[in-house]
Amino acid sequence: MSITARPAPNAAPARLKVRKNIDSLTAQELADFRRAVKQALALTDKRGFDYFAGWHGVPLGWCQHHDPLFLPWHRAYLYWLELALQSQVPGVTLPWWDWSKASAIPSAYSSPQANGAENVLAKARINVLNTAHKPGWPTETSRAPGHAPQVPGPPYQQEWANAMKATNYTDFSQRIWSVHDTVHVWMGGTMAQVDWAAYDPIFFAHHANVDRAWRIWQTAHPGANPPAGILDESLQTDPAMKVRATLDVHQLGYEYAGTQSTVAGSA
Amino acid sequence: MQRWTSQAMALPPRTSWQRADLEFEGVEHDGASFVMHIFLNNPDADAATPRTAEQRYAGYLTVFAHGDCWGDVGHCDIPEPVSAFDRRPPHPLVPFDATLEITEPLQALSETTGPEGTGEITVTVLAFNEADETDGVLRFKELTLLTYA
Repeated sequence: MSITARPAPNAAPARLKVRKNIDSLTAQELADFRRAVKQALALTDKRGFDYFAGWHGVPLGWCQHHDPLFLPWHRAYLYWLELALQSQVPGVTLPWWDWSKASAIPSAYSSPQANGAENVLAKARINVLNTAHKPGWPTETSRAPGHAPQVPGPPYQQEWANAMKATNYTDFSQRIWSVHDTVHVWMGGTMAQVDWAAYDPIFFAHHANVDRAWRIWQTAHPGANPPAGILDESLQTDPAMKVRATLDVHQLGYEYAGTQSTVAGSA
Repeated sequence: MQRWTSQAMALPPRTSWQRADLEFEGVEHDGASFVMHIFLNNPDADAATPRTAEQRYAGYLTVFAHGDCWGDVGHCDIPEPVSAFDRRPPHPLVPFDATLEITEPLQALSETTGPEGTGEITVTVLAFNEADETDGVLRFKELTLLTYA
């Protein structure tokens, strides 16, 4: 799919980056993505993976949950992280994990090994920047998918469909954050704790799918924006971004892979 | 497992609404993540109760929570604004409202209770922390049954 964005007036047309389903990446695309994550994990400054992981939980705790800022904040979060990964390996994009259809964690994130080396998407050490490690803190990410039968597991097809049926932003936001919460808790381990979840690389595949859901719903409901009262709020990221700036993914330079067929009309 | 059952709530006349929501207001999320399974007029429901229409199962809500406090003393206390000019974002642990649509289960219940019917809401809760301690994990301000014409 090829899409051209219309950025600022007088600027040259920019080609959008396309986020893809993790299961649809070519071997080269997956290798490039792993390389970007690995290089970002090796950095202990503001370009590194741990810096971004720290926005969500320990030590900065900037994330927004269970309120109308949930979707805009996480869209901005993914945007800034994706740029940081592209600084490591140009052209990479954040893949999504479609838990509305898949019944398990994608093998790209679960296989212990990849190409003869440790799979950086399966597990990561937790290095909280500029903060002394405290007793009881995890030292690496962990997961225990399906650890409790009381937590419904994927695929979350019905929950996804229910969110898509929402006719206003508030309903959509509540429904999608609800299934988002379930995915986290079903995953278990550090993914089930707000303060540590973002240290796991699969966090971003999960949230790319949440963001994709918002994008799909937005397309079906043009103009159904978050409440007007929050559009000019600044989201706590580095640098900050206003809610209004998160509404159009094309203005953020990306789109989700899919299909689109258009034919000429009769005029 | 924690179990909570509401007082009896008056059910609105079946013909007066098209959609029904249960709204848990002021849900605390400062501890372990947890899952809530909600039953209507089934106060004996527990973790082993089948989640079926026959058991008047209404659905589930999962809460992705913060876990134990990792900061210094006072880190997880929700502060009041220090002035009218305090424009800092809300504290991450401000309680939130969780909504579950229960239109179909409530319709089914209403058909059995008649026009003067009442309903009890029973919630079974399972938390996920190192000790698997669940008692007291579900804390909220009030529960509202909302219907929409």
